[in-house]
Parts: sequence; structure tokens; C-alpha cells
Amino acid sequence: MSTIVKARYSSPGGASLARMPKSGTLSYFEIALLAACVGVLVLGIPESFMDVVLLSFLWGGLALAWNIAGGYAGMISFGHAAFFGVGAYTSTILSVDAGLSPWIGMWLGAILAALVGGVLSLVCARLRGPFFILSTLATAEVIRICALNWASLTGGPEGLAIPPVASLASMVFDSKQTYALLMLGYLVLMYVFTKVLEASRYGFYMFAVRDDEDAAGAAGINALFVRTAAMALSAFLTAIGGSLFAQYFLYLDPTHVFSLELSFQFALLPALGGLGTAIGPVLGAFAITPLSELLRSYLGDSVAGLHLVIYGGVVIVVMLYFPGGMAAALNRLAARKGGKGK
Amino acid sequence: MDTLAQLVLSGILVGSIYALMSVGLTLIFGVLRIVNFAHGEFLMLGMYGAWAMSRFAGVNPYVGLLLVVPAMFLFGMLVYKLIVTPGLDKPHLVIVFATMGLSIMLQNLALMIMSADLFDVPPMFGGRSLGIGPLYVKTELLIGFCIALGVTFAMRWIVKTTYLGKAIRATVQDREAASLMGIPVHRIFLITFASGSALVGLAACVMLPVFSVFPTVGLNFVLIAFVIVVLGGMGSIEGALLGGICIGVVQSMSSYYFAPAYGQLFFFILFMLVLVFRPAGLMGQKGTANLGMNP
Repeated sequence: MSTIVKARYSSPGGASLARMPKSGTLSYFEIALLAACVGVLVLGIPESFMDVVLLSFLWGGLALAWNIAGGYAGMISFGHAAFFGVGAYTSTILSVDAGLSPWIGMWLGAILAALVGGVLSLVCARLRGPFFILSTLATAEVIRICALNWASLTGGPEGLAIPPVASLASMVFDSKQTYALLMLGYLVLMYVFTKVLEASRYGFYMFAVRDDEDAAGAAGINALFVRTAAMALSAFLTAIGGSLFAQYFLYLDPTHVFSLELSFQFALLPALGGLGTAIGPVLGAFAITPLSELLRSYLGDSVAGLHLVIYGGVVIVVMLYFPGGMAAALNRLAARKGGKGK
Repeated sequence: MDTLAQLVLSGILVGSIYALMSVGLTLIFGVLRIVNFAHGEFLMLGMYGAWAMSRFAGVNPYVGLLLVVPAMFLFGMLVYKLIVTPGLDKPHLVIVFATMGLSIMLQNLALMIMSADLFDVPPMFGGRSLGIGPLYVKTELLIGFCIALGVTFAMRWIVKTTYLGKAIRATVQDREAASLMGIPVHRIFLITFASGSALVGLAACVMLPVFSVFPTVGLNFVLIAFVIVVLGGMGSIEGALLGGICIGVVQSMSSYYFAPAYGQLFFFILFMLVLVFRPAGLMGQKGTANLGMNP
């Protein structure tokens, strides 16, 4: 807490003063959160809540993946469902049609998604702000329409199903606990990766490019490379989440997997949690996923859509009045307590 | 040859209705640079309003617009006061996400109240088409085309020549300088935003006789509207008309010669090409793409 670097930091989340990340630090909060996650799995919880826990882990990992491009490199994408879908479909098609294990297939899907992401950011190299957002939206729509109509490959609107035969090689498991472990593994890997990335030289390049591209260029940073790599990386990691999603639900529906709603969700979770921080997307996913799942199960039957009305309201209030998200709010709280302690 | 002419004609007519829907977004996104992701939901609200008047009071949508347009103007003012004003001095992302939240909220509010069913108004003019030589024209589309043309030229005249229009353009070019010149910047923003919202209410009344209304109807059209605004050139009202007509023609031709799904595919590809090679759009001045953007 003592070395607070006040950087000029026009973070997309609006946190005007933020600490620059340091390497090798892990706060008590992070340790407690990890312990809680592992504890939930070890102690076991009712089967009916397992879905929520597992999805929170998966969404946390996906939100972290989005955050690399959107939060760190400032490339807000509303088209990440495309990468997610490419990952999910590649591993599924390879395992169903060619018998290739998803453990291998998911890397191939990730590479394919990274290529798409890299090409997208090269093609749209000149676009900024809303124009970049619109270009990601359009790309996702193009990929969605292709997936929907290329029926011989993707099964078209009927979707693709993975045979529900449990085996380690085909990444299909009997117990939700095993899936939860898998998702937690993804989340922890993503988190560690993000922490390493944000304190690395490349991480600082991303901050520089996001905050002032001209100045970054003048300091000798190749902005085009940084942006392209950030997008490709983010797409790569999102695609892995897509493969895991496919392996859990064992069914892919192109109207959902490639949907705009999904793309918006990828962006909203980190935005609510705190853009451009490592803990933010995790907080966002851990708060919103249970909230929307529980609201849906309690309210869903009586009034369709009410949980999303509440969700939309929460998004508006948080974005307008806490633009730094939950992470910034927590930081402020911690700082105030720290101040009192002295 | 007749088929081709028919396709082009229907494309132009449908496209002009798309254009009418985009003129409102041209004001909000093209001129004010406010990314309003809830624009489609504004359209949805307007369509439900016109539908309700037709269903419960028997008011023809073309008459109903006399009520829907002022109502949408007020609604635009409300949204501006509650959601846009608090986000104006923050990075543009804040408004992007906040309007996205609004869009989710309105969509599901409609779902709660109206269910997911499709509603439409009974066909007018006996459901007949007008014959022009060998070609056929849906009467509702022709009325929409005329209204779109009229609105476009009226808006163009307002923005180019009236004091209000000049004040709007000055505010966009340099907010600070405009306020030093005595232009009430906030009121100008408010009026422009509300007018954009009123225009989409107008578009809703014109579209209702042609398209059904359902809670996510906006999602189908909002992307088209953004594409048209960028294609036509940010802030260019005649550009929106031209862009809309281009999209309409591309869509009707590719739907006929390939498959309906490819109609969408083609216009997204067209959109990407424009973004990459000419971000200023068809009618926009070079550099307008970067004007007035918050970093």
C-alpha cells in the first residue's frame, strides 16, 4: 500500500488514479477468495448449487480473457462470442467427426480463434472507440451467419451434440464436481496469467498503448503489434473457455453460442467488476452469475424477464456511479480502513 | 429485367424505411457522438405504442404518430437526463455500457408485459399493392418512402440553415468554444438527443404496418441503423438516406440471388469494407470519423 504510483491513467473504467501493478504480490483478499473456491469444491455443496458455482468459475475465466483486450489494451470488443464459438465448435467438430480428444482440439480451436482475432485487429487497425466496437460486432455477426448456414460443418440451426459417454480422454465427466474442478483450473490459470501479464513488460506496453497511443509510439512501442497480440491472446483464451463450455453442456446451439447477448455478457462482467484489473472480472462474474441464476430460478417461472430487468438496472447504476466497478469500490473501502488503522 | 427492376425498387423502398430509422441515430451517434445501444429499444417502444393505439383505440399508425412522436421526444429527454448526462464527462465507454444496460432492461420489460408474441396491425388499403407498369409496390412501403424523403430533407434543412442546426454543429465541433459563444450546450444536446428519439418514434409508426413488433425487434434493426450511419457518413443526414437505400438494395438483391441469410452477411461485409477503407462513409467529410470523440 505504501508505494502508490499515481500514473496518468485514463482507464476505460474511469478509475483516474490507479496503482500500477507490481509483480509477485498476492493480497490477502485474493488468497481468501481462492481458499473459498477450493473450499466449496472440497467440502461439497448441494448438487443444485453446483451449476451456479461451476458457471461462475467459467464466466470468471472468460471475463478475464476478455479483459486482456478490453481492459488492458483498450480494445473493447462486443464480438467475443465469435472467438468463444470458434473454440467451442472446433474442439467439438474435431472430437465428434474425427475422434480427436478435446484436450488437443481445444488448442487448435484456440489457435484458429487467435488467427481470427489477429486478422480482425490488423484489418481494423485504424479504428478507435465506437468504430472499433462496431467492427467487432459486425465480425461476430458475419461469423454467426456463416456458422448458422454452413450446415454440413456445424450442423446448422439444429446444433451439434457431443455423445454423453463419460471418459477422461473425451473430456466428458459424470460428476459436476469434476467439471467444477476443471472450470476452477481454467479460472486460476487465467488469473495467474493475467497477474503475470499485467506486471510484465508487455503488460506495460498495453497500458501505454491504451492510455496514449501516440506517446507510446513515440517511446518506441509498436502499437499495432501490441494491439494485434492483445486481441489474438484474448481470442485464444476465450476459445479455450468455449471448448470447456461445449464439454460441459454437450450441446452447441449456434443461435446461443455466437449470440450478441453472449458477447455483451463477456464485456459486461469485467465492466461491472472493474476494467483493466485482474480481480475485477472475477468479482463481476462471482457477483453477477449467482445473482442472475438465482433470480432466474426464483422469478423466472412467474415473470419471464424480470431478472434481466433488474440486471439491466444494476448495469446502468454501476456504470454511471461506480465506473471503476466493484474492484475500485473495494479498493476505496480498503484504503479508507487502512487510513483509519494508522 | 423486370425481376431486377423489381428487386431494385423494393430495395429502395425498404432501404428508405431503414434510413428513416437511422436518421434519429445519425443525430445521436453521428452528430452528438453518443453511442446509444438502446436505439433499437426506442424503436421497439414506439412500435408497441403505435400498436397499442391501433389495437385499443383503432387509431391508424399514420395518425398515431401524432402522439407517438411527442411521447418519444419526452422519453428521449428522460433518458438523456437520467442516463446520458451523468456519463457525459466520463469516458465514452460509460455511456456505451449504460445504454447497453438500458437496452437489456427495456427489452425484458417488454417481454414481461407483452410476452414474446408477435403483434402487427391489420393490413391497410385492403392489402393490395400498387402496380406501376410491370412493377408492384406495397402501398405502406411507398408511404414510408415519401415520409423518409420528406423527413430527410426537412432535417437536412434544419441542421444546415436554422440557428438551432448551426448551434448543434458548433457544439459538436468544439463544445467549449460553442459555450463561450453563448450556446447553451447542455440544452442543445438535450434537444438533439430527444429529437433523435422522436425521429425513431416516427420511424416506428411507419414500420409497424410493414413489420411485426416483438420485444427483441430492436436488435434486428439497431445493427442495420449503426451500419447505415457509418456507411452514409457520421452526421450526414443525406448520407443516411443514401446508406439506407444501399443497404436495402444489397439486401433485396442478395436475398433473391443467394438466400435471405446472405442478405445480412453481405451488408456486414459491406460495412467492414467501408470501415476499413473509408471510415468517413459515403457522404461524410474526411476526418469526421474522429471529430468530437472522447478519448
